[in-house]
Amino acid sequence: MFDFLVSSLTIAGIYALMALGLNLQAGYAGLLNFGHIAFAGLGAYAAGIGFGLGWGVLPSLAMGIAAAMLLGLFIASIGRKLAADYWGIATLAVAEILRTIATNEGWLTGGANGISAIPALFDGLARPWDSVAFLALVAAILAACAVVCSRLGNGRFGRALRLMREEPQLATCMGYDLRSLKTRAIMSGAAIAALGGFLYAHYMSFAGPEYMLASETFLLWTMLMIGGLGNTAGVLVGVVVVQAAYVFVPFIKDWLSLSSDVSGAIRLGLIGTILLLCLMWRSEGLVPEKLRKMP
Amino acid sequence: MLQFLVDTLLRASDLALVALGLSMLYGLVKFPNVAHVQYAMFGAYVCYGLHAAGTPLVLAIALATAATGLFTLVLQVLVFQRLLRGGPAIAMIGSLAVSMLLIAVMQGVAGSFPRMFELPRTEPLVLGDVRLARAQIYSVATTIVLLGLFMFLLFHTRMGRAMRALASNSMLANASGLNAAFITRLVSFMAGGLAGLGGSMLALSTGAHINLGNDLLLPVFAAAILGGLGNPLGAVVGAMLIALTETAVTNMNFGPVFGQELMFLPVAYISAASFLILLLALLFRPYGLFDREVRRV
Repeated sequence: MFDFLVSSLTIAGIYALMALGLNLQAGYAGLLNFGHIAFAGLGAYAAGIGFGLGWGVLPSLAMGIAAAMLLGLFIASIGRKLAADYWGIATLAVAEILRTIATNEGWLTGGANGISAIPALFDGLARPWDSVAFLALVAAILAACAVVCSRLGNGRFGRALRLMREEPQLATCMGYDLRSLKTRAIMSGAAIAALGGFLYAHYMSFAGPEYMLASETFLLWTMLMIGGLGNTAGVLVGVVVVQAAYVFVPFIKDWLSLSSDVSGAIRLGLIGTILLLCLMWRSEGLVPEKLRKMP
Repeated sequence: MLQFLVDTLLRASDLALVALGLSMLYGLVKFPNVAHVQYAMFGAYVCYGLHAAGTPLVLAIALATAATGLFTLVLQVLVFQRLLRGGPAIAMIGSLAVSMLLIAVMQGVAGSFPRMFELPRTEPLVLGDVRLARAQIYSVATTIVLLGLFMFLLFHTRMGRAMRALASNSMLANASGLNAAFITRLVSFMAGGLAGLGGSMLALSTGAHINLGNDLLLPVFAAAILGGLGNPLGAVVGAMLIALTETAVTNMNFGPVFGQELMFLPVAYISAASFLILLLALLFRPYGLFDREVRRV
């Protein structure tokens, strides 16, 4: 039970990192990124490839974050002249291309089998303590990122992003360069997501193409929509709610002795249902964003 | 060469119906409905279920088409109309949620294993060195007839004119007394029906399976965007272009370029071809090849 709790919390913390990254783009800047998981996938593969090359942890991490930020730059440059919904489809396409490449270029990524036996970060410690130490690391990184994100969100940068989201023409008039704002929002979100993916690969000691499935992005979206777009507290609430729902599915499976097809379907359907209900009846989320109003 | 043309035609007819429906509906509701390709999967399963229960094949396809149309209409009225009040972005995320739900329900009901149709064996038609199954000929013929009917409906009837008017300027069309709600419902029904029909015919050769919708997602969107979303005729041309590229990419021998005898792209990269076209289209012609309308910002 203890192990189960620790692993659920660790995974929730990692998803929270990815969701914080998405929130910078979708919440503050209002960008419909449907390929966000690609950034996390790059981070995960960086962990695997870096390990294969015999690099240390920090250089691999730097490689992953740099790759994700480059991809972010590319995605942002596609978005230069696209309307929001078209751009969403484009990001979905980029993520799918990346997944196809990861599945087919076996010399680099291990193909469909992925890269396994990535070492856990705290192998030196005794049995329960290695996972506890990992959880502590994730929690510390998450806390740091949450503080940075909420300060970014409430600071000048976040205010500029919100202004761009609500009144793009006004933002242009006030001298903001919208293209640069978008690019910076996407790139910083990409960096945080890559960090999450990197930790996930080390935690699972595996990196594979199934990390980049589009449904993972929608899982992150569900977290955001439930918690509330545009504020850090809302994101964390959303992650906890969705993760709790997710963690219960295996119990339901054992309890009703369902097949794994059905339990997979229940997971997907649960997320879809929660997302849809949330959109229809509470589209601002459980913790709505507070916009400052001019008196 | 003949084989190449036939392959292209077959693939185009798979994509064209679904892309046509998507594009037509987009013109009215103004958000890309990602769940549209899942309607094709829905239609495929309904058709399979009916056929397995003993309905004759043609009747099963017709019923699946009607059922998918009705289902789409119900979703449009109950879900998307409400979501659209929050704007196109909310509606698009909602369509993602709907597609997840649809996949989940189908996986729960039918399992993740593909369901193949049990069709009687027929002698394939031989044209030169090309062998064609009867089912393929019928499906291409159906597509062509339907496309002809739709073009007639769109460009030569009052209803078609009303649909085009509503798509190009809904405020103006509303002001001139068109019944927008009715037309939107009618078009949702037809778009869903087209997707269901496309899915059923696709399933005849590949079987009904969970990923049928996901596999269609990017080629269909690429076709619709290439033709300019909201331009039904463009979607058909887009489908042909996508089919042409996909067939070319897989049949072309890249060997001479790299100084080798034979070199083909792995089959898994077929889908990457359509993603690539989609990206190129979005980069260079974001409003499609046949764009004459006022730009949206």
